[in-house]
Formats: sequence, C-alpha cells, structure tokens
Amino acid sequence: MNLSSLNWNSLLPELVIVATSLIVLITAVVGKVSRVDRIARGHALAVVTLIGLLIAAGLTIMQLSQPASDFMGMVQSDALSHYLNLVILLAAALAVLLAWDYLGRFTYSFSEFYSLLLLAVAGMMFLGKSTELITLFVSLEILSISLYILTGFNRHQLASAEASLKYFLLGAFASGFIVYGAALLYGDTGSTWFSDIAANASGGFLTLAGFALLLVGFAFKIAAVPFHMWTPDAYQGAPTPVTAFMSVGTKAAALVALFRVLQSAVSAPYETWAWALAILSLLTMTVGNVAALRQTSIKRLLAYSSIAQAGYMLIGLVAGTVLGLQAMLFYLFAYAFMNIGAFACASLLESDDWSELQDASMANARGLFSRQPLLATALAIFMFSLAGIPPLAGFFGKLYLFDAAIDAGWLWLALVAVINSVISAYYYMRVVVVMFMEAPDESTRVRLPIPDSAILAIVIAVLGALLLGILAGPSFASLGQAVVAWRF
Amino acid sequence: MALLLFLALALVALLAAVGMVTSRNAVHSALFMLVNFAVYAIFYIMLNAQFLGVVQVIVYAGAIVVLFLFVVMLIGGEIGAVRSSLRRYTYAAALILGALFVAMIGLGIAQTISTDQTVAGAPAAGGVEAIGMALFTTYLLPFELASLLLLAGMVGGVARRYKALDED
Amino acid sequence: MIFDYAWLILLFPALGLLFNAFFGRRVGHKVAAIVANLAVALSFLMAVALAMGLSALPGDESSVEVLLWPWIHIAGFQVDMALLIDPLSSVMILVVTGIGLLIHIYSATYMKVDDEHQPMDERRYARFFVYMNLFILMMLTLVLANNYVMLYLGWEGVGLASYLLIGFWFYKPSAADAAKKAFLVNRVGDFGMALAIMWMFFLFGKEAGSLSFDAVFAALETASPAVVAALTGVTLLLLLAATGKSAQIPLFVWLPDAMEGPSPVSALIHAATMVTAGVYMLARSHPLLELAPATMTLIAWIGGLTALMAASIAIVQTDLKRILAYSTISQLGYMFLGVGVGAYVASVFHLYTHAFFKALLFLAAGSVMHALHGELNIDLMGGLRKKLPVTYAQFLIGALALAGFPLLSGYWSKDAILLGAFVTSYPLYAIGLFTALLTAFYSLRAVYRAFHGQPRDEHLYDHAHEQPRGMTWPLWALAFGAVFAGLLGLPAIFGKEFGFPVGNLIEGWLKPTFEGLSEPHVAFSTEMALFISSGFVALIGIYLAYARYVKQSGWTLSLQKALSPLQPALENKYWVDEIYFAVIVNPLRALARFFATGAEGVIDGVVNGVGAVTTAAGVGIARLQTGLLSWYALSLFLGVVLLLIYFVFA
Repeated sequence: MNLSSLNWNSLLPELVIVATSLIVLITAVVGKVSRVDRIARGHALAVVTLIGLLIAAGLTIMQLSQPASDFMGMVQSDALSHYLNLVILLAAALAVLLAWDYLGRFTYSFSEFYSLLLLAVAGMMFLGKSTELITLFVSLEILSISLYILTGFNRHQLASAEASLKYFLLGAFASGFIVYGAALLYGDTGSTWFSDIAANASGGFLTLAGFALLLVGFAFKIAAVPFHMWTPDAYQGAPTPVTAFMSVGTKAAALVALFRVLQSAVSAPYETWAWALAILSLLTMTVGNVAALRQTSIKRLLAYSSIAQAGYMLIGLVAGTVLGLQAMLFYLFAYAFMNIGAFACASLLESDDWSELQDASMANARGLFSRQPLLATALAIFMFSLAGIPPLAGFFGKLYLFDAAIDAGWLWLALVAVINSVISAYYYMRVVVVMFMEAPDESTRVRLPIPDSAILAIVIAVLGALLLGILAGPSFASLGQAVVAWRF
Repeated sequence: MALLLFLALALVALLAAVGMVTSRNAVHSALFMLVNFAVYAIFYIMLNAQFLGVVQVIVYAGAIVVLFLFVVMLIGGEIGAVRSSLRRYTYAAALILGALFVAMIGLGIAQTISTDQTVAGAPAAGGVEAIGMALFTTYLLPFELASLLLLAGMVGGVARRYKALDED
Repeated sequence: MIFDYAWLILLFPALGLLFNAFFGRRVGHKVAAIVANLAVALSFLMAVALAMGLSALPGDESSVEVLLWPWIHIAGFQVDMALLIDPLSSVMILVVTGIGLLIHIYSATYMKVDDEHQPMDERRYARFFVYMNLFILMMLTLVLANNYVMLYLGWEGVGLASYLLIGFWFYKPSAADAAKKAFLVNRVGDFGMALAIMWMFFLFGKEAGSLSFDAVFAALETASPAVVAALTGVTLLLLLAATGKSAQIPLFVWLPDAMEGPSPVSALIHAATMVTAGVYMLARSHPLLELAPATMTLIAWIGGLTALMAASIAIVQTDLKRILAYSTISQLGYMFLGVGVGAYVASVFHLYTHAFFKALLFLAAGSVMHALHGELNIDLMGGLRKKLPVTYAQFLIGALALAGFPLLSGYWSKDAILLGAFVTSYPLYAIGLFTALLTAFYSLRAVYRAFHGQPRDEHLYDHAHEQPRGMTWPLWALAFGAVFAGLLGLPAIFGKEFGFPVGNLIEGWLKPTFEGLSEPHVAFSTEMALFISSGFVALIGIYLAYARYVKQSGWTLSLQKALSPLQPALENKYWVDEIYFAVIVNPLRALARFFATGAEGVIDGVVNGVGAVTTAAGVGIARLQTGLLSWYALSLFLGVVLLLIYFVFA
C-alpha cells in the first residue's frame, strides 16, 4: 500500500476544515493581546472560520457529481455525504455569525471555541461518510467531545456547566452501547466494514443485538424518544449559537450515518428495523410536541420542538426509499434554515445578565412587533415554517416526507405525523400571538440592540426558508437526481 | 485449563466491577477498577494480544488509575455522597433492566456457542508489529481521526481551564 | 419572443427589495430610492412590452402561459409556478406597475420625513422601499398567477406587505392596532380563500390534476350536477375572501383604520391596487360564478349596499384620508356590483379609472398633510387653494373624476356599471344612482371644506407651503389619467351612432377573457338617457356641496337639520365596529378564555401523563442532582433494553 494510492481528494473538504481548526487554534498561543484587542481577534478568527467553511463548501459542491470510495473502503463520498456536508457547513456558518457578537459577552477563549466548532464539523462530516464501524465510532466521538465542551462554554452560568455535564455523562453512556454493538457485530462477522457485515452476518441473535445497540447510539444523537432526556437541558443550557449548531448538525450527521448503516450494513429484514424506527418516530414526535405545549421559555420550547422535528425526519428513514431519502435531505436543509433562524431570534431575546440563566422567555417576546417589527416578523416566519404552513420550506419538507411515507405504505405513520403537526401548530402559534397580539411589558419596552452579524444570519435563514418553499419543486428534483445514483 | 483460568479471572473481574460501582468510598472504587483493569490485561495476553496487554497495564492500570486517585484526593471525594430517596427505586429499576440486558446479550452469545460457531476475526498475532501494520495501513484513517479526537479533548481541557471573564 | 422573458417583471422588484434589504441603509436616501424606483420602472416597461406582445398575437390566440418552474408535483397532482398573461392580467399589471411607479416616485420625496415631520432615519427610509417593492412583487404574483394556489401565495403576500406598511409607524399604538385589525379581519377572508381552494381541490383535483384556471374551467364543462351545486359553496367562500381583501360588507372595517399607514401606502395598496384584488379574483373566476347565480346576486347586493353605506359615512367624516378611505370602499362596492350583474368589463374598467383618480386624491391628501405638518382634519383647514394652488388643482381634478363629472374618467366607468345594474335590477340601479349623488356631494365637500372659504386655523394656514416638484409632477401624470383614462372605454354604441373613429377599446381588449359573455347592451336612446341622468345626478351632488359649504344657503342648513337624526348613525359608522365587538369579539374572547382554561387542563393532564419526568425539570433548570441524572440514564437504559428485546424477538 502506498499513500499516493489513497484518494485524498475525496476527503478534501474535511481536511480543509481540520486545517482551519488548527490555524484557528494556533493563534491562541501566538503573541500576547490586550483585553480590547481580544474581541477584535475574536472577529478575525470568526472570519477565518467562515473562510474555511466556505472553501469546504466550495470543494463539496465541486465534487457533487463525483462519487468516490476510499481509504480501504472506510469512507464513501457520494451524493448523500455531499448534501450532508452542505447542511453541516451551512449550520456551522450560521452559528459562527451568531457567535460573532454573542461569544464576547462571556468569554475570551475565541480560538478554542472556533477550533472546537470546526472539529465538531469535521467529526460530523466524517461520520456521514464512514462506511466502517471504527471510523464511524471515532468520528462520532470527535463531534461528541467537541460538543460536550462547547455546551459548557459559558462559565458564568451554572446551567451551562450542568448541561455540559449531563450531556457528557449520558453521551458516554450511549457511546458505550455503540461500542458494544460494534463489538458484537465484529464478533459475529469478523469485520468492521459495512459491506462485509452485511455479507457475513449470521443473522442470529448476536447480529440483531449488535444492530439494536448501534441504533441506540444514533437514536441518542438524533434525540429520539426515549433517548432524548438530555436534550432540553443541554439545548437550554448551552450558549445559543452552539444549541443552534448542534440541533441541526448532529441530527443531520446521525440521520445520514444511520441511513448508511441501515442501507448497507443491516442484514435484518426491512420490516424489522423499519417498524422499530417507525415506533421511535411516533414516540419522538408525540412526546416532543406534547412536552413543548407548556414551555414558557422559547429556547426550551425550541428544544422540544427539535425533538419533534427529529421524529418527522425519521419518517424518511422508515420509508427507506429514494423518495424517503430525498424528502429527508430536503427537510434537513429546510430544518437548518428555520431552526437556526429561530434560535438566532431567540438569542436576541435573551437578557444581558450573564450571572443568571440567560433565557429567552416568552415574556421577553411579548409585544415584540411593536418594538422590533422585523425581528418579530422573522421569528414568525420561522415559527410558521416549523409549523409547516405554506408556502414556506417546512411545509414542503413535511409534504414530501408524508408523501414518501404514504408511497412506502406507511399511511398510519403519515396520519400520526399530520396530527402531530396540528398539535405543534398550537405552541408555534402561541409564540406568534405573544409577539403580535399582546401588549409589551413596561420592563421589556426597550429596543434590544441587534448586531449586524446576527441580522445577516437571520436574513440568510429567512431567505432560505422562503426560497426553499417557493423553489421547492426544482430543489427537490435536483436532490432527486443526485440521490437516485445511490444504490438501494 | 485455559477455560478454567478464564472463568476464575472473569469472576474476579466481575466482582471488582461490582465493587467499584457499589463502593461508597471513591478511593476504594478506584482500587477496584485497578483490579479490573489488571485482569483485562491478562485476558489480552491470553488472547494472543501481548502488546495490548502491556499497554493496558501501563496506560490504564498505571497512568489512569493513578490520575483518578490524585483527583479524588485533591477534591476530597473519598467521602461518600448522600443518598437521595430516589435512589432506591433507581437501583431496583436498574437491576431489573440490567438483568434483562444481560439476558438478551447472553441469548445472542449462547446461540452463537450452541451453533458451534467460532467467533470470527480473532487476530493471529497481537505483537507490536501486527498492531503497527494494522494501524498504519488498513486502519490509517481511524488512527488519524483518533488524533483529532485527542486534540478535541485537549482543546476542551484548555478551554475549561481558562478563568471566566470577570476573574481575568 | 417577449413572453420568454416574462419572469423579468417579477425579478426586478425582487432584486430591488433584496438590494435595499441588504444595502439600503448603507447607500443612503438617494440610491435606495433610485433602486426601488428603477425596479418598478423596469417592471412597468416589461408590463408594457408584454401587453404589446399580447396585442401582436394572431387573432385566435389571446393568452400565453409561461412556466417558471414546477412547484409541487406530488402523487399525480401538480401546481406550477407559471404566469398567465392574458388581456385581464395585462390590464392589471399595467395598473399595478404604472400607478405603482408614479407612487414610488412621489414616495421618494414624501418619505424623507417621518410621521412627526422629522427627517427620516435612512434605515427606515430604505425599509419603506423594501416593503413597497415587496408589495409590487406580491401583487404581480397575484395577478399573473395561472392557478389558484399561486394566486393565494400572492394574496397572502400582499396581505403581509399591507400589514407591514400599515404598521410602518409601529411605535404609534394606533398604527400597531390598525395593523393588527387589518391582519385579523383579513385572516377571516383568507381562511375563506384557503377553504375554497381546498374544496376545489376535492372537486377538480383528481380530474384536472391541477388547480390552474384553465384546468379548473375546462373541468367545469364536464362537471356533474353535484359538482355544479357545490360551486355555490365554493364561490361563496371566494366571495368571503374577496370581501376581506376588498373591504366589503361584512369585512370592510379594517380599511378606514389602515389609513394609519403613510399616504403613498394608502394610495397604492389601500386604494389603487391591493384592495382591487378581490374584484380581480372574482372576475378571474367568472366561469365559476356563471354557474352559481345565487352567489352572483349576493355579490351584486353586497356591492350595492357597501357602496351606499360607505358613501353615506363619508359624508360626515372630517378626516381627509378617512373620507377617501370610505370613498374607496364605496367605489369597490360599485366594482362588486358590476361583477354581480355580470358586467365584468365595466368592473375592470372602473377598477382601472379608479386607480388613477383615487391614487391622485390620496397623494394630493398626502401633500396637504405634509403642507400642514400632519394635520388631516378638514374642519381645521379652509382657504388652502391660495397657499397650495397646485395641490388644489390636482385634488379638484381627482374629486371631479370621482364625483362622476361628465366626460371625466370616473363618469364613463361608473356609468358602464350603472348600465349593467339597470339591465339586471332596478333597485340596484336606484341604489347605484343615489350613491352617485352622495359621491359627488362628499367629494366636493372635501374640496370646499379644505380649499375654499376662510382659513379656520390661522396658525396652520400660515405655515402651509407648496410641495417640491418631486411630489407634484407624478400627480400631474395621474391627473392626466383621471381626466382622459375614460376615453379608452367610451361606449361602443357612441362610436356607432356618432361615427367616432374608435369604439370601446377596453371592451375589445378584454373580450377574449370574458368570451361568450355578452356585456349588457340597451337601445341607444336608453343608454343616452342613462348617461344624461347620471351626469345630471353628479351635477346635483356637486351643486348641493357648493350650496352648503360655499354659499351656505339657508335651505341647505334646514335640509341638514331635517336629516340630523341620521347623523349619529353616520358618525359612528352605523356602529359596525361596536356591533362586531359585542357580537363577535367579546363572545370569542370569552370562548377563548374558556378554551384556554379548558385546554390548559387537558394539556396539563396529557403532559403530566406522558412525561412526569420531563416536566419535573420544570421552568427553571433544577440544580444538578444525581437523582435527576440517574432518571435520565435509566430512561435511556430502558430504551436500550426495549430495543434489544424488540430486535431479538422480532
């Protein structure tokens, strides 16, 4: 074997991200910078990070039509991983824009923050490409560890540290199951490659138990019920840019990796795993939506909402068809825009008092329209999109998912999902009503300053949520062309 | 003979693990873990993975347990935590679930043994050379990725170390 | 082929709004205004080009569909983003972009100051043009859509733009409330629209595979009697939607309050274009209406009664813009009346002339408002014609056109509608004629009160000043239209009888859209009689206003005294707001309270049942405790074991 025979090109986007992460990290130890300059340096680092993300996105787009498998078949670059990369990079870029101003309010550790963020991005990208269990596990751990730390990045708040610790302990627990599952599969088949596992599996209890344990790890990352317990605490406690990023990136990477495992490694019959996923999906959307009904914090509400959204996306996996995959990828893009947009607006509603839980409570949003009409309108658009109201991206995402489910014979699941959408409309609309119909409190009458970077992030997200809806037909079709190449 | 030795050692490892979890004194826990790790080292050697066995002793039994003990003593964690009322139910539930878990996995292993299927994938040689070959050729990518994992952990440690803004 | 570039008409305002949204506040007043104006100007040129392309089509073709992109393709049903360019939509795009352009030009100067007459913040100035371009974009989407779903997209889009613009001075509670009211009332209508579309989907979705106008209207020909019967329901829902957007009984209450928005907004959205969307939509749906005669009758009566009611309220209003708002409602009533009696061409004709003179009136009112530093109460004006001669002339032209002064544009189009009403129903004709009298009276009342006589507030009068050219010349263009636009729709019969070189151009143009429907025609002598009588009525109305407000004749005062019992009803707008509050809002509030508490109980129950653990975390975050964490871990472990059992035994 020689190094030049490895197709490094197929990993170029990931390598760019890792290199950017190292560059960002090195600046932490170069020179001594005064207090004031630190903020400026933070902004410079954010720019470097954005450039890295952009280059990686450019490389991914250039590779869109070139499927490649390499490193002894440990990674697979194909339409699936390319689109996943774009979702992750988009989420990361929006998160950087949010962090731009937000971060400086509680820390000076900019280079650590951005390099960890980039490492998490790299982990997610590798996760989506891996076709081998060890690579898969290590990638999963890279993103997990980075996110545990990012979650606890706000040292002013007990809630942040608490969220980090909970996420870490439960995450380690879940990782244990993944490793155990991988070990069982290795014991059964003598290989860690998906293709070998599919070919050599005995199909006995050992294989099935191995798959079940593997599924646990993914379900934890997706925050599927009953593996979701960490989510509300971690999402609420983490700095909001981190929440926005991980709520989209982690789910996307784990869903795609799970899809790959299901399609290329699992030898169990379709009905077996599809029913397991269908029940997970049912539980996830129902529990997420019902629990969200009573939340008084917008951030926590969004955390529960993102659990429910994961339930919808699982439908694409349940269908297991081209249509299902296409719908799931479409939904991931839509979700990236609307969910990060919603968190971005929420981050602007947080109080400035960093000694307490900085929470975007519903009361802060009261009468927002009469204070900041554009911010209120943007948040309303995200809420409408999340609730699935036409002609926004979320509506078409759901439409395609439900259509894929019906097409694959899961009518009951589609019906449950529709009922869930109706339930969810209640709490999404409540936010809108609070902003537009209620009079503002005297205490919240002040106009909050909105940094330019956050405006940019919100505008991008609004445009995404709108255009993906208005251009739903062509974008769905273009996903389809790429995905059809995927072998089922 | 080998089976008997394995069973005896397995019992030791199991007891040490139970002791580690149930012990209310953190130092005792760490010592139980040491025993557990040591038994694992023997397992590795029995499985023809001599290099792993040695590494297990040096890294886990040596470095990591010592680190644990230091931390425990520094923060004074040797005094047991107060039990909350919730805990009794938790225990019961965890025991039941644990038993079910063991039963399920056991079922899988028993089925494999009963069908007289040899466990696939046992390495032929576990020396430095074999491991090195595997790590730097076939498993090059995960090996390199592991360095990123370590980097993430390290950066995290550094970031945690920084004092908060107002204490700067 | 010009139609291949039809999408440009949408692209220009989209680019304009994006530019101003991103860079507007950095590039300053001038550039922001130029970009926004240029966008609409290019759109207007495109509209002209499209109309010319349409007229150059060979005789048997009268409409072109341009596919932009396939939008929803799902399970044998498809909705496309496609434009329908036909005579009707071409008239609409010309009005929207043409009037829109003039109003944009006016706004560039007008919006330099804010509601307190302080120099406007550049950010907000740019934002205004973002909203305006957004409105143009959405309105064009609405009128160019080739299917009901896309039309609905535009329908909601213009609603959004209107909402944002009414609430443009959002920090004023009255503006915020007005925006809220417009939003809520329109929601009722939009709900009707959504239901109508869903109903049509069930009626025609399977058969036609689409909701495009062509497909739906084609499906009508083979429709079963049951479907035809259902059409009455569908059209009633469409009517509900139209009454919301076009401010007709029962959903008219939002429009007078909408005057809280800046004057150009009132001119563009709440007079010339958006509020006519309901009329357009009904005219577009005429094949459905023709099969639902009951709905037609209802439309006619709603239109007639709205016209009468709004005109009577306008008589006692003292706020210049509110007079115009009620006048708009009243004129929209005429258009509904026209649709209801099947005189679609007359309706569209009136829509088009009305756009000129009403935009002119609103912009002139805006000029007055600027000159008087925001004062709109005509009781405090008087004698302004000396101070504001240009604005006076412009307002007068608009008012005369509105009043139906013979040979001005409003005269021809109103008479076309009255002719239709005359053919169908005498009571409706009588209502229309009487409304014409009221119209002439209130429009000239506004002129006399504001511009004639002695100044009633010396301070205001002394500070009044004529407006800069940027605001006056667009008005001259509108005034030109207000005078001459009617010539496009001279009754065909005139051409025949008097040997005019041209006949009814607008009827000839629109004929392909309303193919197979005969516009009402009567004998020449009858038609002449109708024309003369309505001209006469307008003159009476004008004289009444002159006698009452300029000459102040004694008999007019005693007439007023005789009619004074009506005054409270008029001044309180027939208590419609109050009635809505008592009959709808308050009971709804009570119901909502009931449901809120009731639903809360149910939800609490469900939540507590489903996730005691979840809610245990509560509102604030519980302090880290091993108990909670072990619960989490336990739940995770439970999931693991269940999955294992499932997989092993499945």
